[in-house]
Amino acid sequence: MTIRVIAKLDVKPPYVVKPVHFEGLRKMGDPSAMAKKYYDQGADELFYIDIVSSLFQREILFHEIDKVANNLFIPFAAGGGVKNIDDFSKMFHMGADKVIINTYAIQENPDIIDKAAKIFGSQAVVVNIEAKRWKTKWECYTDCGRIQSQKDVIDWVREVEQRGAGEILLQSVDTDGRCRGFDNELASKVVDLVSIPVVVSSGAGSLKDIKILIEAANPSGVAIASLLHYDRTTIQEIKKYLNNDVVVSQ
Amino acid sequence: MSNIIGIINYGIAGNIHSVKKAIERAGGKTLVINSLSDFDLVDKLIIPGVGSFKDAMQELETGNFISPIKGFGKPILGICLGMQILAELGFEFGKTKGLALIDAEVKPMLCDGKIPHMGFSKISVKVPNILLEGLEDQEFYFMHSYEFVNYTDIIALTKYNDHSFVSAVHRGNLYGVQFHPEKSREAGIKLLSNFIKL
Repeated sequence: MTIRVIAKLDVKPPYVVKPVHFEGLRKMGDPSAMAKKYYDQGADELFYIDIVSSLFQREILFHEIDKVANNLFIPFAAGGGVKNIDDFSKMFHMGADKVIINTYAIQENPDIIDKAAKIFGSQAVVVNIEAKRWKTKWECYTDCGRIQSQKDVIDWVREVEQRGAGEILLQSVDTDGRCRGFDNELASKVVDLVSIPVVVSSGAGSLKDIKILIEAANPSGVAIASLLHYDRTTIQEIKKYLNNDVVVSQ
Repeated sequence: MSNIIGIINYGIAGNIHSVKKAIERAGGKTLVINSLSDFDLVDKLIIPGVGSFKDAMQELETGNFISPIKGFGKPILGICLGMQILAELGFEFGKTKGLALIDAEVKPMLCDGKIPHMGFSKISVKVPNILLEGLEDQEFYFMHSYEFVNYTDIIALTKYNDHSFVSAVHRGNLYGVQFHPEKSREAGIKLLSNFIKL
């Protein structure tokens, strides 16, 4: 099985933005146009995260998600500010195939993972983990890398798998947006720990960084933002470099 | 012929939106089927599927959709879980009776790879079929933890970590695909266009 190459859009509607260490947002462009661009380049999936929804405690902007989902014929995962089963339902209705959840599950009620998995199937529930290294451990953060949770990443990963999560999006507050490589040690630990797919994000600064990640951790997918947003590479180039078959939509 | 493609809307777990969009992209007209009388208005049927076997069968029963599907007679395409429920039995969250239209059972995937099997994988056509015309060795998007165990109606197989499983079936008016054509780029649109033209 070849690794999935996923384009990740961190969105502060109406713009795709790119934080460094989850801070200092820069405007990157229009979400729908960027989604279409990565679809045309042959992305295997698209992740869309409204990174300020939880932080600002505002309602999810569903119409923004609907716009992005149009003209995408690849899997589309959306998240940011998801708090209940109704939010899941609406996300699917707007064209999401998977829903990404973090803050609410950690801060308020992890049972939402079990509930959503039971109703929509495990494959539709992606748990986003924002990990920050502390000595020899990692702690989970929420609200776009702002709030400490006191939860150990390893314990939490184990828990969400048991609760029925179908996939993990593993991000690192330390390496995100720095373009100096992934936290390979963390990735390797998490991939080995669970039997569900793990998608690793945060830190790709070159094609080589992706290769190093794969050699170290062998994740199911890699989610790329900065490298693509700054046009420093394309999905085709990444796949070619990783010796994947390149599939470009017409 | 008007050639309208009906998409069965059963409960909150269906991914109606994506399927509808993809059919329209493939040049088809769609009608979302919400009640019994809608079945008379369509020429073909799609059973989409996201969710569990057990919930899907319960929802179909609640909507009184089981007998109109069984008696439809015209082409039906089951997608992912929509294909799986064509089987006799499913083993997701206990043993559940399926639509029993194809002699098959739906069991957990047994292989070394990560489950769910999620991502693009190639199909290998075993019996040439109009549905798969022009799609030999194309990649399609899979997202499943269970597989369709069948010996009689296979038209394509797919390999995941050295484990071969059924990725497409055909029996009479029934077609089923384990992957998601609505999420498989232009190859998926082509498959839907093949279905529309049947």
